[in-house]
Amino acid sequence: MIGTVALAATACRGGDSSPARRTLIDSRDTEDPRSLDPALSTDVPTGRAVAYLFDGLFRFTPDARVEPALAERMEVSADGLTYTVHLRRNVTFHDGRPLVARNVVNSFRRVLDPAARGGRGWPLYPIKGAREFSEKKSETIEGLSAPDDSTVIITLAAPLSIFEKMLAMPVASIVPDSVPENFGEKPVGTGPWKLVEWKHDDYLLFAKNEGYFGGPPKMDSLRARVIPEPSTAVAEFESGRVDLINVPEAETRQWKQTDERKAMLQSVPGLRFIYAAINVTRGPLADARVRRAINHAVDSRLILDQIVGGRGRVANGVIPPLLEGADSARRPYAFDAAKAKALLAEAGYAGGIDIELWTSQAAPYPRIAETIQSMLQPAGIRVKIQQRDAPSVREASRNGQTDMHLKTWYADYPDAENFLFPLLHGSNTGVGGNVSFWKNAEYDRIVTRSRAERDAAARVGLYRQADSIAFNDAPMLFLFFYDELYALQPWIKGFVVPTIFNGQRWTSVVIEKR
Amino acid sequence: MLGYVLRRLLLAVPTLAGVLVVTFLLLYVAPGDPVSEMVGERADAETIARLRAELRLDDPLPVQFGHYVGNIARGNLGTSYITGRPIARDLAERFPKTLQLAGAAMLLATILGISIGVVAATRPGGWVDRLSLGLTYVGISFPVYWVGLLLILLFAVTLRWLPPSGYGGPEYLVLPALALGMRSIAFLARMTRSSMLDTLSSDFVRTARAKGLRERTVVIRHALRAALIPIITVVGLDFGSYLTGSILTETIFSWPGIGRYVVNAISRRDLPAIQGAVLFLSGVFVLVNLLTDLAYAKADPRVGRG
Repeated sequence: MIGTVALAATACRGGDSSPARRTLIDSRDTEDPRSLDPALSTDVPTGRAVAYLFDGLFRFTPDARVEPALAERMEVSADGLTYTVHLRRNVTFHDGRPLVARNVVNSFRRVLDPAARGGRGWPLYPIKGAREFSEKKSETIEGLSAPDDSTVIITLAAPLSIFEKMLAMPVASIVPDSVPENFGEKPVGTGPWKLVEWKHDDYLLFAKNEGYFGGPPKMDSLRARVIPEPSTAVAEFESGRVDLINVPEAETRQWKQTDERKAMLQSVPGLRFIYAAINVTRGPLADARVRRAINHAVDSRLILDQIVGGRGRVANGVIPPLLEGADSARRPYAFDAAKAKALLAEAGYAGGIDIELWTSQAAPYPRIAETIQSMLQPAGIRVKIQQRDAPSVREASRNGQTDMHLKTWYADYPDAENFLFPLLHGSNTGVGGNVSFWKNAEYDRIVTRSRAERDAAARVGLYRQADSIAFNDAPMLFLFFYDELYALQPWIKGFVVPTIFNGQRWTSVVIEKR
Repeated sequence: MLGYVLRRLLLAVPTLAGVLVVTFLLLYVAPGDPVSEMVGERADAETIARLRAELRLDDPLPVQFGHYVGNIARGNLGTSYITGRPIARDLAERFPKTLQLAGAAMLLATILGISIGVVAATRPGGWVDRLSLGLTYVGISFPVYWVGLLLILLFAVTLRWLPPSGYGGPEYLVLPALALGMRSIAFLARMTRSSMLDTLSSDFVRTARAKGLRERTVVIRHALRAALIPIITVVGLDFGSYLTGSILTETIFSWPGIGRYVVNAISRRDLPAIQGAVLFLSGVFVLVNLLTDLAYAKADPRVGRG
């Protein structure tokens, strides 16, 4: 019976004829956004919706470049401290109020305001006096001013070469002055789409902003549906009721099998790193030889091919191949069980070691964890899997209670620094993102220097150097960088799969009549 | 009767108070930090400390509990840590949708389940009986998740009769109600069949037949009514559990009900949302049980007098 149904389903495809609607329909959100208030944008659905409704001074393109949005141009002083931003003129909010420089200052103040409970001040902390303000030690933010309606002057506490990219994050979106209490439900921005309605756990409906400064979107409206189950999203796609889906990992192969389905696929290398942090403060894991042994004992290629349908590249460091600083010449750890055993013996653990590997219950992590467990076994590394729900695992790992923690890191902005600094810098241990609790003085020095380095070529050199140190010292099990894989309906034109989650705003996407 | 209802409602107060205490303590000892979920993947210790202080999470346990109970007593379920929205409004938005789905599933289950059961009982061993036995085994043993996906594949993707998922007009209700009600249909059919077989062979049915009543009247007016008590029990229990959210069905059919709300709240450690929802749903459960008991009395007058 199942076989018959499945066959019948394969015989009939979505996408036979273009729909008459002028509404684009997205299916990627698996949960409701937290809020539509940029100050609360800590999750993917929120960040994505905020990018539709608002603009920042800068924005990301689908291929992860940074371009000016509300900023027309920007001058940076020679010491790298002062950013003079000239705003685009004649920009209005959805309610008709004009955008003025003061809005920028107030928007940033609002995010940093200790009463806001946003919890995501860090992209703005580089601004001089921002931290003091958010800790109630100061009434004003020293480094923020608006000398006239179209100029904003931002002074940083220390030079930070990637600050421009942080200004393109959702949290740095510009909101009007005096926003109401329910701003998260009734947002008003300058973005290409206006909110029409938000049915919680069901959908968000946006209408095009006719007055958008970059020209209105080509279609009338955009519906972002919330579909928690990936198989259901596939069914919606096959019925032609959604325009695109994130192809579920487990179904990757199936989609690549028939030409008809294959033609709908679009893939880009993503800014997602899948790895297992190794806590270097725990027992035998303090020895780099043991950590290298773990890397040699695991066949990442096999995991990549068998569990996530080959969607990605085996990691040869922490910098995804797409980003500058990634070293394409560096070879990943070779899968070599004998070498792993030898390294363990050399470290004095000929009898093997016992470790715990923590993972959340979300697919595909438990399967990856089990595979790692079985691969480490022959090398003498006995793994006990601790499978809990995500908050429990996160808490344990941030408190340093996990030997190894299988996890994913999504980039907030497209820069190698977004991997090197939070994941491994000594100042970020625990909640900052470094759950390897690795502290390497040379690495820290190089990464700190790279953050201040204004010369792009020199910075990339430093990134590469830092990545190489991390790779050799192995504070993590390097698994793979993930490729995004979407299926698009044949009538959808102009959609480029974004490398970064908020890089596609649907403005030039159309439903083509055929 | 009114006195009985009032007494039962009064008894619900300690039950709900117990639920309040147990939920609060369970959440307190459960691993996972609510503030950690508020700040996202990358944060700093100062922000976390500040938020903890603001949410009074560092206060001693009794103080936190007193604060919470004080709010509840004033009818305030609080606001979500994650979304900042009032919990009461969140629940009010989602509960009617859960009620709608549960109602449809129960209606379907009652009509189909009882009909199959009655027909099967009147002709035991006949083809309807055997077919229903097979179908009910399927209904009881197949997981909702699987049944749901199969229904979507067949009726939405292949036949295109109904939408695969989402919330909207009656056409959106059919598949999730069927998936959710499947187990109840099966249960009710089996229950009705055996209960009917018992009553059909009892003395009063023989008397009714001897009086010369039509077989239909005997079966429906006399036998079925007497067989209703165990059926009501199943209906009441299943309805109660459907009303407290059917997480799998709501997830598979993208139904914006209360089950998904609770699961999301738990997975984000949104303490006020979890506490508020659990308290509310316990109240619903108590109420449904009360209604079930009242229905007993209606079906069998002896119950009320006892």
